Amino acid sequence: MKIKAWKSVLAGTLAALVLSLSFTGSVSAEDLPYNPYAYDYWEDVVHTPAAYEPAGMIRGGDLLYNGESIGAFINPQDLCKSEDGNIYVADTGNQRIVVLNQNMTEVINIYTTFDNNGAEDSFNMPTGVCVSSKNWLYIADSMNRRVVILDIATGELMGIVENPQSDILEAGYVFTPLKVSVDYADRVYCIAQNMFEGIMVFEANGEFTGFFGTIEVQISLWEKFWRRLATKEERSKSQLFIPTEFTGIDVDSDGFVYATNIDLEGLQAVRRLNPRGEDVIKQGENENVGGDLWIEGSTDYAGPSQITDVVYRDKGIFSLLDRKRGRIFTYDHEGNLLYIFGGLGTQIGTFMAPAAIESVGNQIVVLDSNRAAIFCFNETEYGRLINEAVRLRYDGDETQAVEMWRQVLILNENFELANSGIGKAYLTAKDNETAMYYLRLGMNREYYSIAFKRYRNDILKANLNYILTGMMVIIIGYLVGSKIVKKKKGIQKEEDILNG
Amino acid sequence: MDKNISEENSFIKKYFSSEKWKYLWYTLSHPMDGFYWIRRKDKGSVPIAILLVVCFSFCFSLNRYLASFVVNDINPRSVNSLSELGGVLLLYVLLCVGNWSITCLMNGEGRMKDISIAVGYATLPLILTFIPATIISRAIAADEESFYYMILAVGIAYAVILLLIGIMQVHNYTLGKTLITLFLTLIAVFIIIFLMLLLLNLISQVYTFFYSIYTELIFRA
Repeated sequence: MKIKAWKSVLAGTLAALVLSLSFTGSVSAEDLPYNPYAYDYWEDVVHTPAAYEPAGMIRGGDLLYNGESIGAFINPQDLCKSEDGNIYVADTGNQRIVVLNQNMTEVINIYTTFDNNGAEDSFNMPTGVCVSSKNWLYIADSMNRRVVILDIATGELMGIVENPQSDILEAGYVFTPLKVSVDYADRVYCIAQNMFEGIMVFEANGEFTGFFGTIEVQISLWEKFWRRLATKEERSKSQLFIPTEFTGIDVDSDGFVYATNIDLEGLQAVRRLNPRGEDVIKQGENENVGGDLWIEGSTDYAGPSQITDVVYRDKGIFSLLDRKRGRIFTYDHEGNLLYIFGGLGTQIGTFMAPAAIESVGNQIVVLDSNRAAIFCFNETEYGRLINEAVRLRYDGDETQAVEMWRQVLILNENFELANSGIGKAYLTAKDNETAMYYLRLGMNREYYSIAFKRYRNDILKANLNYILTGMMVIIIGYLVGSKIVKKKKGIQKEEDILNG
Repeated sequence: MDKNISEENSFIKKYFSSEKWKYLWYTLSHPMDGFYWIRRKDKGSVPIAILLVVCFSFCFSLNRYLASFVVNDINPRSVNSLSELGGVLLLYVLLCVGNWSITCLMNGEGRMKDISIAVGYATLPLILTFIPATIISRAIAADEESFYYMILAVGIAYAVILLLIGIMQVHNYTLGKTLITLFLTLIAVFIIIFLMLLLLNLISQVYTFFYSIYTELIFRA
């Protein structure tokens, strides 16, 4: 026992020494509760260093408010971040909204009741929260069938969105908001239960204006064929082709709405909707923004990722949260997969039922409804370098990004985006041969071809003398040779005639 | 000793003589006449045909492995020339046997020997185009891919034409009948594969049966 303790102390000091000395302070793979990986050009799994490492768990019972414990969260469903950095947790089972400070160490406020035209009113299963740029708090109060808008500072009621009226809604439609988000113009985007037509949009005054970003149903030719053959009775009994519901929503600073849905094919689980409601997301080199690429199998663990929430971070980077396998997928603005981390389990940093994701400073924060806890993930050196490089690239500063990419390659030689980024820099510097080497590793056909064309022209130009001389020699040689052969044949023929 | 050498010599003389090689090129440029006289006057050589198939498999793997990354979507780590050789040879045998079993019933005049020569010789254009295409692929950029694909397409088209004419002339068929027999050949190939799998399954079941008796005895004893 004693020796063990002594050993661990030694190991600890050594580790601290190594960490302080080494350039990169990343956690070794054995310490992580999950295996970080990514997909390469051939859609094979490649193991990578972790981009984020677990940094702790926050449970309701550990938090104090006015000197008292606030009690455990019960089935919390959503969390969001305000502009001043505070975290708002929809503690659904406790019918309250808990506000935490940026480090999530202290409770700043708890909203349980509000003043509704003189009467005290409370929440019933609040499943979604969002804070607007005006510092108004939007709460999807699902079982009260309304969205409550409060002023953060005073807790005063600023409005209620309920009972949407429109010709396009079915008669007797019951509005059950699940998730809510707000853009710069205070338009409310609301994901409602059993509403397959899209995200419901409300104007700032609470008026329902229509649906947004409807997911079109894909019917294959084969299904059409079968429906053609089926009788009316059979058709009425068969499954309806209903578009999938949206699951999570986030609005970026330009007013583009990121909305996730559960895609049964695992191809596209997130949409980037422009103000007209059209999907403008880019799908990257693997043509996929749906989480895992390898989804074969027949177990519960197999099948496409079920993306349940999205967070737009900054400079085009967004992360998706998969509740099927508890993984977090991060993409850049072109839809290229950057890194994957997270998993299911009961350790710190793994989930049982992840419900919501948010980005706070350099951390990624995930809310688990089953374990009723918030999990924080810290950026590692590897993650920081990638994020930084992607940000620089988003701003068009590719030359500065190269330095980052080089350091990424030290940690992960197989990172295609890094190779391709370095290759592009060499291309601009007119070092075509090196550019070809890196672009080949980055599997970037387009830019490789540009580099290759330049390289080919250079070689042709440099060796033009030899090539032309060679061609002359061959042509002259051929002419002379054929004449000699002809002459010989002619002589042969004459001889044959003379002899024959 | 002397006898052995002379036997070897006679083998080479019989199957790999320069006459046979020259006739291969003649068949390539004159398929109608070429395949006709292969059947009537034994101008072809089965070993050369098999050699061509092996060469084709080699060129195929080479192309998959070495073609420039601009036109090549194959992960070089997944290329295995030996398993590809096995696959190509298996396909070759299946095609020949399938065709033979169909044409036997449909008044085909070709013998097994002639069919295997016809199919084997038909791979020559593939060999002749895959290698230059692979070399050219390394000198082209992304928007010049069509050159590469054109060369490959020409090779494949000519191989198909050779196969068609080869089967037609060897069996002394009309074109229509050739197409029908080729279609039936494909069906025959599938039936053969099906029967083989069935047989394999049965054998493995018999094996497990006896193996379980063996383990039972071992445990009892």
